[in-house]
Amino acid sequence: MRGVELEGVSLDYGNRAILCNISLCIEPGERIVLLGPSGSGKSSVLRLVAGFQAPTMGVIRLGGEVVARDGRITVPPERRGVGMVFQNLALWPHLTVHGNLDFGLKVRGIHKKEREQRISDMLDLVGLKPFARSLTTRMSGGEQQRVALARALVLRPDTLLMDEPLSSLDDELNQQLRREIKRLHAELSFTLLYVTHRVDEVADLAGRVIRLHKGNAIPASDQFGA
Amino acid sequence: MLYGKRQTVTHAERWTLVLAVVVVAIAGLLPVLVVIAESVTVEGYMSFESYNALLSSPRQWRWLGNTVLLGVLVASVSMAVGLPLGLLLAKTDLPFRSALAVLFTVPLLLPPYILALAWFHVLGRGGLLTQWFSPALGELTHEVLFGLPGSVLVLSSSLMPVVLLMTIAFTRTVHPLLEEAALMTAPWRSVLTGITLPLIRPGVLLGGLLVFLLATGEFAVPMFLRFDVYAVESFTQFAAFYQPGAATAFAVPLAFVAFVALTLERVHLRDRTYEVRFASPRSGLLTVPLGPLRPLVMGAVLLAWLLIIGLPLGSLVAASAVGGNYSEALGRSWDALLRSVAYATTGATLLTVLGFFIGYIVQRRSLPGWRSVDSLTILLFALPSTVIGVGLVTLWNRPLLGAIYGTPLLVLIGYVAQYIALTSRISVAGLSSVPRSMEEAAQLSGASWFRRVGLIVAPLTGRALGAGWLIGYLFCLRDTGLSMMIYPAGGDPLPVRTFTMMANGAPALVAALCVIMVAAALVPLLIVGLIFAGASRENAQAA
Repeated sequence: MRGVELEGVSLDYGNRAILCNISLCIEPGERIVLLGPSGSGKSSVLRLVAGFQAPTMGVIRLGGEVVARDGRITVPPERRGVGMVFQNLALWPHLTVHGNLDFGLKVRGIHKKEREQRISDMLDLVGLKPFARSLTTRMSGGEQQRVALARALVLRPDTLLMDEPLSSLDDELNQQLRREIKRLHAELSFTLLYVTHRVDEVADLAGRVIRLHKGNAIPASDQFGA
Repeated sequence: MLYGKRQTVTHAERWTLVLAVVVVAIAGLLPVLVVIAESVTVEGYMSFESYNALLSSPRQWRWLGNTVLLGVLVASVSMAVGLPLGLLLAKTDLPFRSALAVLFTVPLLLPPYILALAWFHVLGRGGLLTQWFSPALGELTHEVLFGLPGSVLVLSSSLMPVVLLMTIAFTRTVHPLLEEAALMTAPWRSVLTGITLPLIRPGVLLGGLLVFLLATGEFAVPMFLRFDVYAVESFTQFAAFYQPGAATAFAVPLAFVAFVALTLERVHLRDRTYEVRFASPRSGLLTVPLGPLRPLVMGAVLLAWLLIIGLPLGSLVAASAVGGNYSEALGRSWDALLRSVAYATTGATLLTVLGFFIGYIVQRRSLPGWRSVDSLTILLFALPSTVIGVGLVTLWNRPLLGAIYGTPLLVLIGYVAQYIALTSRISVAGLSSVPRSMEEAAQLSGASWFRRVGLIVAPLTGRALGAGWLIGYLFCLRDTGLSMMIYPAGGDPLPVRTFTMMANGAPALVAALCVIMVAAALVPLLIVGLIFAGASRENAQAA
């Protein structure tokens, strides 16, 4: 497992500052929740860690290796060992559940036999084996969430990024999937960065909470008035 | 989702997209720059002689006035007819709306001069009105047809579908919740005028602007109906007198009119007409119930189609049905027909591929200057074919470039220049329904940009690409102005051959050629329509 480190990271869009001189250190296997209101820069932190954007200033390290520095990407997203569950899930509607999971494995040149085994294991893990040949568009919201989670995890990432993945679900399903995320984290031991604005998700999922406000990380001692 | 300058763009992505821009720039921008440069050059020196001659002649000003007047009148009539018709077909519970929309779009698929000939068979001396009523009436309508009123009638019936389609497309982008919120407090009539119409206004205005530009650039119809406009003069200078200098000088005011009109569009409609999303399922759209008026409105719509389209095209078919003409027409045009289909198929494929990448640049904002790329494609579409044609000939007619000039390659380059806006805008619409996160998910999976585009984006925009190909095919097939100037010797496509034969061929034979042209445009449309209908049925059954 690899830790995540942000050192003096800033992100601007033109004159607009999205993140201001943020420094974070996340230990390997840690479960971190990024909490903050809309526009606080939570999703931008995930996009920087994923490698979809480069920080205007500062350094990002994964497992001690510099992956981005001062406006430059040094390691592209596909070589960072990072998985992501997007807010809108971003499931590929023209592919089946199996196809969604198989895509990344195939691209990485993994042998068919091993691919099938890993897909089968992962679908078992998230309880979706009967849906392997279904199109994701015909599935319920909760099932689609599980597919997105399985697609990210089947590639065995060191770090899993989750961008408000449960925001569109009702409370009961939300709780059920939180339990599943914790179970999967315990079984697979990835580093988890989970973005949310819901306090109940924080209480349930966080090993540690980092609060963002207007692009600034609030020190741990100030959180929740502590 | 906000994307800044620092989003990651791979080398493969950047260079592929840059290559697409370079191809479009060479095909379209370079010829236009050459036109401008040539218009201020005499025997290798800079000179405004052509412009002096142009500006000092009262005739030129009359032609410019005629050109703008024709454009304004055609745009006004098209909007007056196309907007209400589009609303009827998009927002009401009128039966067979899709079929009616296709029927009203038929004229757009044909070279406008075919409609001019068709109207001639109705209103001209010895036409249907003469036969049905009296020679005196035929004489009167003949006088009206040849001149401004006839040009407005023909071009409006040909270009009105642009406004109609824009109205339908933009009406489908209005979120039903916005109308439902208004319906809580107001009747449908107020909702339409207070909510729906203001929301779709940018799209309708853009449609009107495109009609204006297409009308000002059209030369075949005014030439046939003997109405003096700039495009005719520019074409005549080039084709009849072979005076490229004069032709370019005549072309520049047309380019200027197009530039001014598009600048106005950018200032007033900027960011409001970028993305026309593909229609959400129709069940998701609110429709206005016509109630007891439904049969009456249906009758009125059918009557309108009959008068605007059915009557002229029917008269053309009737005129062509004199014994033996079709076999003779086919015998004399078989090679041109095959060539037309080959040009259009290849052109549409090129346009689809390039349009996809240009659309990708615009929708994903992948390159700096994406807005300029979009503006360039729209400007090229709006420029009269004579401007691009003169530019292409001037640019490519050089000893070293013989491998391109005088071959079908130049025709294909011309198609790319003139019509790339169509396929790129359709790609923008298709791409807007594929969230960037789908590509990002594939990127995290390890897929290269080509794999992401080939395995994720292209399949998800397949419908848009198919529609783009079809529209590209139809526009290449109907093209007359550009092809007329750049076709290789002995390689004329069908619209050019038909137009040439209009000058000295037997009317029945020319009518038969026009009907063959109509069939060549409609057959692929029907085939694609049947395929889409079959796919929709399968989807519905599967759901």
